[in-house]
Amino acid sequence: MTLWRQIKNTLFTALCSGSVLFLAATLMIFLLPMLWKGSKAVFFRKTVEFDKMQKELFKRGHAEDLERRTAQTNQARQEALALLEHFSRGIDTALLSREVRSAYQQLGRHLRYLEVSDDEYARLREQAKDIRDAFLQALETTDKAEAESLLDTVDAQQTNPRFQNSPFEVVFSLSKQYRQILQEIDLSRRPEYAAELDIVKTEMRNLFGPLPGESIPPLPQDRFGATRWDVAQRHLQYLIYQTKWVPSGKDDKRLIPKQIRRDDPEEGIFGKTELAPLFSMVEQNLAAMLQPRPTIYWRYFLDDSTAGHYFGGVGPEVLGTLLLTVLSMCFAVPLGVLSAAYLVEYAAGGITTRIIRTCINTLAGVPSIVYGLFGLAFFVLLAGNPSILSASMTLALLVLPVIIRASEEAIRAVPQSYKEASLALGAGKFRTFLTVTLPAAGPGILTGIILSLSRAAGETAPILFAGAVALGPIPDIGLHLKWLFQPTRALSYGCYDITVGDRLAMQVPHNQFGMVMTLILLVLLLNLAAVLLRWRMSKKLQGL
Amino acid sequence: MTTAGSQSDAAVQFTRPLRLTFRDDLSSTLLSWLVKSFLFVVTFCSVAAVLLIFVFVIRQAAPFFAESRVSPLERLTEFFTSRRWFPEHQAHPEYGILAIIAGSFYVTITSLLIAVPTGLLAAVFLSDIASFRTRQICKPLIEILAAIPSVAYGVFAVMVVAPWLQKNIGFPTGTNALNASLILSVMAMPTIISVAEDALSAVGREIREASYALGATRAETMLRIVIPAAHSGILAAVILGMMRAVGETMVVWMASGNATQIPSPWWDLSQSVRTMTATIAGELGEVPQGTTHFHSLFAIGLVLLIFTFCLNLLSEHFIMQMKKPKR
Amino acid sequence: MMVRHGKTVLFFIGLTLWAAQPVLAAEGKTLQIDGSTTVGPLGDAFAEVFKELHPDVSITVKKTGSGDGAAALIDGRCDIAMMSRFMKDKEFQQAVEKGVFPVAHVIAMDGVCVVVHPSNPVTELRTEQIRDIYMGKITNWKELGGPDMPIVPVSRDTSSGTYESFHSMVMHNEKMAANVEYVNSNPQAHARVRSTPGAIGYVGIGFLDRYVKALKVDGVMPTRSTIAKGIYPVSRPLFLFTNGYPKLGSIIHAFCTFYLTEKGQEIIEAKGFVPVTEY
Repeated sequence: MTLWRQIKNTLFTALCSGSVLFLAATLMIFLLPMLWKGSKAVFFRKTVEFDKMQKELFKRGHAEDLERRTAQTNQARQEALALLEHFSRGIDTALLSREVRSAYQQLGRHLRYLEVSDDEYARLREQAKDIRDAFLQALETTDKAEAESLLDTVDAQQTNPRFQNSPFEVVFSLSKQYRQILQEIDLSRRPEYAAELDIVKTEMRNLFGPLPGESIPPLPQDRFGATRWDVAQRHLQYLIYQTKWVPSGKDDKRLIPKQIRRDDPEEGIFGKTELAPLFSMVEQNLAAMLQPRPTIYWRYFLDDSTAGHYFGGVGPEVLGTLLLTVLSMCFAVPLGVLSAAYLVEYAAGGITTRIIRTCINTLAGVPSIVYGLFGLAFFVLLAGNPSILSASMTLALLVLPVIIRASEEAIRAVPQSYKEASLALGAGKFRTFLTVTLPAAGPGILTGIILSLSRAAGETAPILFAGAVALGPIPDIGLHLKWLFQPTRALSYGCYDITVGDRLAMQVPHNQFGMVMTLILLVLLLNLAAVLLRWRMSKKLQGL
Repeated sequence: MTTAGSQSDAAVQFTRPLRLTFRDDLSSTLLSWLVKSFLFVVTFCSVAAVLLIFVFVIRQAAPFFAESRVSPLERLTEFFTSRRWFPEHQAHPEYGILAIIAGSFYVTITSLLIAVPTGLLAAVFLSDIASFRTRQICKPLIEILAAIPSVAYGVFAVMVVAPWLQKNIGFPTGTNALNASLILSVMAMPTIISVAEDALSAVGREIREASYALGATRAETMLRIVIPAAHSGILAAVILGMMRAVGETMVVWMASGNATQIPSPWWDLSQSVRTMTATIAGELGEVPQGTTHFHSLFAIGLVLLIFTFCLNLLSEHFIMQMKKPKR
Repeated sequence: MMVRHGKTVLFFIGLTLWAAQPVLAAEGKTLQIDGSTTVGPLGDAFAEVFKELHPDVSITVKKTGSGDGAAALIDGRCDIAMMSRFMKDKEFQQAVEKGVFPVAHVIAMDGVCVVVHPSNPVTELRTEQIRDIYMGKITNWKELGGPDMPIVPVSRDTSSGTYESFHSMVMHNEKMAANVEYVNSNPQAHARVRSTPGAIGYVGIGFLDRYVKALKVDGVMPTRSTIAKGIYPVSRPLFLFTNGYPKLGSIIHAFCTFYLTEKGQEIIEAKGFVPVTEY
């Protein structure tokens, strides 16, 4: 019987300790992967493309060094790129079609230049358009005979004197070129080749930036190749392997992925073509082509980012969060500390105090999304548009009860003898509070403020509608105070947006986790500061 | 976390410094009165804030019930009894939030089922088992758990937990009631632990000693004596944890799947649910201001607000009860 | 110390009251763009390139949904509303009542593609079948010739333009079943389908990639050409709406005609939409 009781007792103790261990484990399960994955935004192996990107977007880095490395890598890439270009000439009709289109456009300009009559102009354009369309159709079709008959209609116009010596003449030489291509390749397989070649080209672009001869893409994210070695590795896999979904062979009809090397002599689509050497060439020389080096990208926390956080850091988000939290403290701290002073020093019990206390508790219990509703209904509708000001005032309300409680506790913890000494010296009650109690309670209040800073920094729901945006100009802080009325980016909302709201971000998981890591780090640092402060305080009190 | 209710009695004896002249006396009295009323006004801001929140949420919710096409009673009945939530349908919009309320309860109750036992045991550990030093280590740990932003938990739920649930347990969808509940329980635990620990510590040392003196083991003392004695504080802890879970937005929005349904069979937590908070957060951003849909979201907010307000009053009641025997 | 704080408080309260008039909207060199999450990426990218061309203009792009875009244009909260659907009668009426005359600019075409997990052997569905899935009449893939696996239908939230297109073109305005999951954006829908073998969802054509498989709808594969030609049954134009036709030469005009430039077209293609004009 006693044994049984003892077993029960031990079990109970174990359960209790276990639950705390469980908590610690939960914290670790959460923190470690998040911080580890996030740290990759700062610690990683950069490639030469990264330096190019930094140079162009952020204007930093050694120009000479970069030039030298660019030259080196370009040389390493040359062979592969040349191979790709040579092969794609025959397969990729987009190039031909682009040339035909441009010839047609130039014809128009040419005719205008010649100042032909309007009727003549319209007629010739019409003819040229028919030729162009026939050519384009010939490019699109997979039937060889049809393509040739279409080309015949094109060539029939070759003798038209109006087209001779005009920019449109090019079309006929292109037609000859294409006839030759038609003899060389299997048209029925061309769409297949073209589709795969498209992927190969995309991945080559992802690795090395725009291919030679291509214009500079309008969007920054397309201007550079793989800026990180891990990203490069991923794209290398995509380049080399084709994923086919094939039946699993079991009864459940589900398809399973099957990785096939594109240059596999048996199954690979390019196995028997002249493109085959490309894949092993890139695979073996990738390091020479990109020159990876380990780096610490500490500017991640300061840099602006391109759309969708494809490149760059979380600078504007950090700034926005700081602005929001600091501004909200400007509202909440005076209110909170004075309220606490009243509650401790003056409140006389009774019904009023009880109502006030109930209200503070209610305020603490209001769900954060209701603060968001209120922020929208009150501040935003009143002020016209969501802004930093409305968001920070919403946050101020949210942290007000936290500050009041923390300050109250801190003020209460000041030894009574302090106050008595001051009062005995003839100081009034309020003066005692200001000069004696408040400084003594200062560290405690500060702890409360730091904790509510961390709370305000992390809240998302209240600022969803009150002033947070996923993309917007960086508020230019200045005395003119206009920035108060702009919406801002914020870490907390950014975390949400980058996780679920952005397609580009899905391709850069290091930046997704990097943003979350920044938020967690910020909050952890604030909490650490609070813990240290409290620890120092308790030491001081013990020393008394 | 606790609501302190005691008053400063000792300072009352020393309110006046030495009295000098009549003018000094008058000015200092006036000044102190002024200061007092100023502080009162400042403090009253909290009250005003609560009132403002209620007023503005009600003001935006009112048009939903007072719309001319349907009588308020019909609206109310539909609102609370229909499971069909089609606010954007052009011809026949429907505004039934029964399934949404049910979703809120699903995730809340499930998270409490996990958080309350664990939290209570952890509180027992902290108050009665751990040494001073262990407690010094554990407390910041729990604080950090409470401080981690909900959106970070949400990211964790979506990017780590959901794929794990799908792959290893074989759920058809990883963002479901269970996922949200798991994360919510972690978030509610710090609240539960700290309030419950306060409640357990508030039970006097004499009671424990008496129990030990009678030969009871620690388990018996805690389970039969201390916990029953602290029951009102523990209830308050549970309610506060519940408030945290009901009001949490980002995690449930990201992790619960947002399907407007009551799972069937009812215990199937692998299905997606939608909560009140997620409905507001998800739809308010995209809905044009001034439409019935817009106001209906405020109506949901009002339900949420009233619910948490009642819970809050209840928790206060229990905390008061907990404090009484101590004095 | 305290007194100074009190002043700060008063100061800020004063500022708030002052803010009651929308201060920024009146300024010349700002461009407020608001609206659809589908058109949003285009708006973002246009804005990004625009910033380089006109460094003095500050552009804010908010992606809050087509409905809110329309409302914002009507309320004068934005200069350009991005919408993935045409304005509704009601919105037009409201606009005209408030003295706003919405003008539509079609900037690109988009197809709402029905996607499934790549492990799903189903390759083709008819609109009726898709409708039955979303109405809860078909709940298992084996009814459609697939594996024995429950269907997880994923829908966009009800305020989005994508939802409305799907709702009218595929659902014929029938209400969806209760088990339909709602997600808030195209990427989220993509992510849900990508990670869930039994899922079916719908996204814009820009979101098709190696991780999800587009289905033929009524025998038509969603590709650029089928969407541009309107053969694909669920294709739609994407709009920018302005208040009146923008003043020629103004910044709004430049933005609204940007899609006609080569750069604009390239961006449209880069973002996975289909340009309306051939260049």
